[in-house]
Amino acid sequence: MVFSLFAARLVQLQGVDPGQYAAMAAAAGTRTLTLPAQRGEIFDRFGEPLADSVEGRAVIANPAETTDDAPAVAAFLARELGVDYTTTLRKLRVKGSQFQYIARHVPATKADDVLAAAKAQSDDVDGFKGLFTQRDPIRIYPAHDVAANVLGFVGEPSKKADVEAGRTYQAYGGLEEAFNKALSGKDGEERYEFGAGDTRLPLGNNTTVAPVDGQDITTTIDRDLQWYAQRTLRQAVIGAKARSGIAIVMDTQTGELLTLADYPTFDAEDPASAHKSDRQARSLNLAYEPGSVEKVLTMAALLDEGKVTPRTKLLVPGQLDRQDRPIKDHWEHGLIKLTLAGVLAKSSNIGTVLAADRFGSGELRSYLEKFGLGAVSGVGLGGETRGSIPEGPAWTSQVGDRIAFGQSLSVNAVQMAAAVNTIANGGVRVDPTLIRGEATRDDGTRVGTDVSTTRRVVSEEAARQTTKMMQLVVDPEDGVAPAAQVPGYSVAGKTGTAQRVGTCVVDGVKQGCYDGTVTVSFAGFAPAENPRFTVYVALQAPTVAGAGGGATAGPVFSKIMGQALQRYSVPESTAPGKKYPVEW
Amino acid sequence: MSTPALQLRERLPRPVEAAVERARLTVVPRRRARAARMPFVTLVSLVLLGGIVGLLCFNTQMQQASFAATALEQRADDLAAREQTLHDEAQALRDPQHLATLAHAAGMVAPISSCTVDLATQQTSGSCTAATGANTPALEGPGRRKPPVLNPAPQVVTVTADPVVVQGGRGPRAGR
Repeated sequence: MVFSLFAARLVQLQGVDPGQYAAMAAAAGTRTLTLPAQRGEIFDRFGEPLADSVEGRAVIANPAETTDDAPAVAAFLARELGVDYTTTLRKLRVKGSQFQYIARHVPATKADDVLAAAKAQSDDVDGFKGLFTQRDPIRIYPAHDVAANVLGFVGEPSKKADVEAGRTYQAYGGLEEAFNKALSGKDGEERYEFGAGDTRLPLGNNTTVAPVDGQDITTTIDRDLQWYAQRTLRQAVIGAKARSGIAIVMDTQTGELLTLADYPTFDAEDPASAHKSDRQARSLNLAYEPGSVEKVLTMAALLDEGKVTPRTKLLVPGQLDRQDRPIKDHWEHGLIKLTLAGVLAKSSNIGTVLAADRFGSGELRSYLEKFGLGAVSGVGLGGETRGSIPEGPAWTSQVGDRIAFGQSLSVNAVQMAAAVNTIANGGVRVDPTLIRGEATRDDGTRVGTDVSTTRRVVSEEAARQTTKMMQLVVDPEDGVAPAAQVPGYSVAGKTGTAQRVGTCVVDGVKQGCYDGTVTVSFAGFAPAENPRFTVYVALQAPTVAGAGGGATAGPVFSKIMGQALQRYSVPESTAPGKKYPVEW
Repeated sequence: MSTPALQLRERLPRPVEAAVERARLTVVPRRRARAARMPFVTLVSLVLLGGIVGLLCFNTQMQQASFAATALEQRADDLAAREQTLHDEAQALRDPQHLATLAHAAGMVAPISSCTVDLATQQTSGSCTAATGANTPALEGPGRRKPPVLNPAPQVVTVTADPVVVQGGRGPRAGR
């Protein structure tokens, strides 16, 4: 009888689908390991890591084994890993579960030490046998909030498909998201037969598919300068009681962005503690009206067209009545005699409109497009706003007047920095870049210094004259922003104080309108005679009395520019040349 | 009819005849000479035994090597993790914020201007002014915003100027 049963079992094993049983037997003795691809690092321009990947572990508990000794195990884990005792206790007692994360992204050394200590106690307390670890890489941002808005961050995969595919990270914003494919690489796999003691069988089947590590990305960011710009900007935003601030440092000749500072910002090591709106790069995502900084572009275009000279004489009234509303200056005055250089130095809206009247139809718009406004700068980050320049019927006479002094159009900060940098670079616009060399975004776009382009926007002579006019802006006698001077260096710059567009309700309908707040900004470059850097600073909605481009943004410009020039050992300026007259 | 052999015998002298008699070939039974089996069996057995022993030794050695490889891999992983931990610690020490904090503690400030000293001529060039700390930003920002539950709005209690007259109070203050 017994032999009959054995015979029947033998027939079942050998006669009915023996392949499946063989496969099951082989699988029971075969182990498959995922060979993780190392996520690419992100470096600053000097090779300092901004984002780094290191080996880590997740400490996991099997509640089926830990429930009985949960208090002792929880106390041990709370002491060793710093996890919350109560939460851990609850996890160790989850009914019907065999897998509970106790701590994630623990440094490998620490996790291994903790597990070894747990094993040592497992003879006395059985509950410690229910602890184990699993590979769980850690993405670290060594400088925390420095360039965090540019880098973005990574978190746990939230989509079910990503979890099932064994993806380690989900990228959120910044370079992490824009270059996720390139950074991720491709995981490999190792399959081998194992024997006693979990050792692999020497002559067993063994196949290995090597992982392909992610591509490293080198940015143009200077980590130390970025840190300085962020701290200086933070101080300015808090001091001015502003809503937010942006500071950009750009290499004049190459277009490389050395800093893209935002405030408020966030700690990339702890992104959850920051508001979502503070985790974006406002320097690219925020569209606003640039204000008087735009006058630089208007003047350069007029000079390039040969319609004016820096000494062109203008009679500037106290108020200019145009079609829909009067145009005023930021200071009360009667009829004054200003040269074109004086109009820029004093930042006269009326004088600028009078000069811009010499443009033919569509000429100013064409120049603004050549300066890069109204189009994404393409530095590589996602979610960049194009800004807007009215076109067609939307460009009315009144709108054209306002655009000439920087209202009724919107830009992002990088666009504006690149446009002003065009003047610094002798009239040649160079694409702003954030990536050194070349890298491919997930959407296939290639970006970086290797693929950036240049184009001439205004003549070298027009750029030179505009530069000399901009030098008057920081002149203590003739200009409006002496606080933007940098000791030892000649500065060419321009202030901006623009009305901000908010949302208001008119007749029960929500619409855009000026909400009473302003954007104060300062853009400039130094040394004026041979520009090395262009710096652009913008603060949104400062609420302290007397806030303005020269008084509020100018000092920030001065500090950041001064630090950049000293850091890169730029020789001090020689004696300034002859100034343009501001009055006649 | 005589055969050639008889004719030859008749013609041969006696001694020769005797020799021929001695040399006459006769059919004898074939003798089978067998090689000794023992040495060959021994040799084959030794070869097989040697092979089996060698294979066992080889397999044992391979197993031992496998154990050693596993142990070494574990050690390599441990050392790699240790190296990464040290790398992290080094990175933390290079953090600009950390360096700035140390510099601030040492009394250092950011310079206002650049000044170059020519060691050969003992002359300075540039805007040589003393650093005042005006360009040194605050190292620490404001604290994190607390949620309303942890940061409730202050409760303002307006106290009236009129004195409150307690009549017939029954608490411990009564009668004081």
